[in-house]
Amino acid sequence: MSSTSVYPTPINAFKQSKRSVLSVIVDNEPGILARIVGLFSGRGYNIEALNVTVVDVKKNLSRITIETLGEEKVISQIIAQLEKLVPVHSATNLANLSESYEAEICLVKIEFENEEQDQKILNFADIYRSRTVQKRQNIVVYEISGTSERINKFLDDLDTIGGIKVELVRSGPIGLGI
Amino acid sequence: MNNENEFTGADILLKALKDQEVDTIFGYPGGAVLPIYDAIFGQNFLKHVLVRQEAGAVHAAEGYARSSGKVGVLLVTSGPGVTNVVTGLTDALMDSIPIVCISGQVPSHLIGTDAFQECDTTGITRPCTKHNYLVKDVSKLSETIHEAFKIASSGRPGPVLIDIPKDVQFAKSKYVSKKDINFREHRIKAGSKNVDKNFVEELVNHIKKSERPIFYVGGGCLNSGHQASRELIKLVNKTNIPITTTLHGLGCFPGEDKSSLGMLGMHGNYEANLAMNKCDLMINVGARFDDRVTGRLDAFSPDSIKFHIDIDQSSINKNVKVNFHTNTDITLTLKEINSFIDSNNIDFGDKDYSNWWGQINEWRKKECLHYEQGDEVIKPQHAISRLYELTKQKDTFVTTEVGQHQMWAAQYYKFSKPNRWITSGGLGTMGFGMPAAVGAQMANPDSLVVDIAGEASFLMNIQEIATAVQYKLPIKIFILNNEYMGMVRQWQELLHGSRYSESYVDALPDFKKLAESFNAVGVRAKNISELDDTINEMISIDRPVIADIWVDKKENCFPMIPSGAAHHEMLLSKYDKENPENQEKGKVLV
Repeated sequence: MSSTSVYPTPINAFKQSKRSVLSVIVDNEPGILARIVGLFSGRGYNIEALNVTVVDVKKNLSRITIETLGEEKVISQIIAQLEKLVPVHSATNLANLSESYEAEICLVKIEFENEEQDQKILNFADIYRSRTVQKRQNIVVYEISGTSERINKFLDDLDTIGGIKVELVRSGPIGLGI
Repeated sequence: MNNENEFTGADILLKALKDQEVDTIFGYPGGAVLPIYDAIFGQNFLKHVLVRQEAGAVHAAEGYARSSGKVGVLLVTSGPGVTNVVTGLTDALMDSIPIVCISGQVPSHLIGTDAFQECDTTGITRPCTKHNYLVKDVSKLSETIHEAFKIASSGRPGPVLIDIPKDVQFAKSKYVSKKDINFREHRIKAGSKNVDKNFVEELVNHIKKSERPIFYVGGGCLNSGHQASRELIKLVNKTNIPITTTLHGLGCFPGEDKSSLGMLGMHGNYEANLAMNKCDLMINVGARFDDRVTGRLDAFSPDSIKFHIDIDQSSINKNVKVNFHTNTDITLTLKEINSFIDSNNIDFGDKDYSNWWGQINEWRKKECLHYEQGDEVIKPQHAISRLYELTKQKDTFVTTEVGQHQMWAAQYYKFSKPNRWITSGGLGTMGFGMPAAVGAQMANPDSLVVDIAGEASFLMNIQEIATAVQYKLPIKIFILNNEYMGMVRQWQELLHGSRYSESYVDALPDFKKLAESFNAVGVRAKNISELDDTINEMISIDRPVIADIWVDKKENCFPMIPSGAAHHEMLLSKYDKENPENQEKGKVLV
């Protein structure tokens, strides 16, 4: 759908390459992120996006979500390598689950020239159910969530509306098996 | 607070080592480990072996572990102490050797300040250990040490490092013994305990159907323990299937047995590689389809159904796609295969694979290990053959350095038991063999330990001869001296127009005098008439001996699969012409 997007959509670098989102449950301990990032760089895998947070304070667990690219064989190897790391409980390719839900959040800061433009952007944002989270003088910050593709589309379309995108931040995809 | 149930971190470490039944530790003191050295001073269960450089400690720990089946332990200081062991840790990781490395660190409050002899130890060693720890709280120390030993020795074994800041070595806490620790299963990665019955049944069915089966056995069989070898021997005898082993698999199956095709791979036997290429059923027992073994992947054993037993799930389908696999321990799986065959009264008697063996015997007629020993200059192959003949009655442990001598040792020295062959395979670390021999001799004080060496490798950790002398370890260093980095020169001949760039080792020491200066013994054989006497003399001396064996300077190691070539494209001698297309492809490979 948005394969022509100017925003970083994982592209098929190799013929058989597929985008995968891996969900990794780990003991929340020093160095675990370095272990995972080191595994990817050391073995020549790509990280397209990365998200880390504590998800269970009592059990001291974090969930790390990694968006990566590779042939199926490579993805299986990444999972096997991840599961060898001592603090890793499990590593799952969300695509291998019968059903999973993926979402990402994006904040975009826009500078508008006049009231009319502001209103036009607001109307456009409304179509995407993106909401204003901050407004100051001629600066407005919108928040949008959904699949990465939806966010790409929002950002592409936003370019046609006017206003200057000052900066933006994306969380990278997160997801859960259902 | 002065509680008699509380101990310093240094004492807790020693208690934990005792609890783990560690009796030998290899190390080198320094500022950040002085409290631990003080604790070592006041005890008598632990033998400390003072090496001459930390690299020696880690290779000695590897040699100790490989030759004893126990975890090897070493102790080094912060900064350079740790950076000196990085090579050995990587070596142990590649070759799945269980070792625990204890390192001192600057006091906690100085971490991150670029303090004297500070380095980011856990950062530097993260990619070269199975796991590592920085212990910031003394109350976690006992548990950390016990978990480290468990991780090092479970599943696919490997090196584990524990970094202990100096203040933690002084701080006090209770000691928690090994039996009181509840290990968390997800952290141990011990592999499955359940044998995959379906795998076993499929395998037996395929053995029955196959015409050209082969066992391909690697170091995993060794790590699974001696029982794995016994089960393997039983299974091979029952089925009459030919067996080839990797460099690390040598000794898992008796090398002189009629079913053994010897080693496979780049310098493996012709019959072993051809059999791998033409087989219709491959049973991989704890090998990892390493590039030295497979040759060109797209031509690797094209017509076979592949079964793979490996406790490391990341070894499955990494380089070569297999049809069936199991992650259960090799001993358990082989045992189940044997009992499945027995309980179902499956008789392979009529299935003797006579056509297959006929073909293999045709390949054997090539005599790929044949060499011509003249009347004067010693051929390196002959030196190893004679060493084997003159030591095979003893329970001999052989370590090696890396290069031509290592491959000749693998080809001409036959091993009948596991754990007798200690070599650096995956990483290919020159300088490994002599310190490894120190470790093997510590673990096996009454056995003959020989380091088969090249003069270039030997010089890389020459300082450890002093360690052998100090602890009266009668190791034998058997140098095949050709004054070249022989394997480098061989590749330069094959691929770089014989331009011997920097592969001649000029200004070599007089190894005999060198031995004497260390208070070891030096012996020398300059020609064939002196060889046997020199070997016998070397064996008979109950002290460290350096035997300087002058061998043919130009001899190369054959057979050989040039890099980029396939199993069936072996060179049998220097007179074999290599396919020029392969030569170009091979140049860029290692």
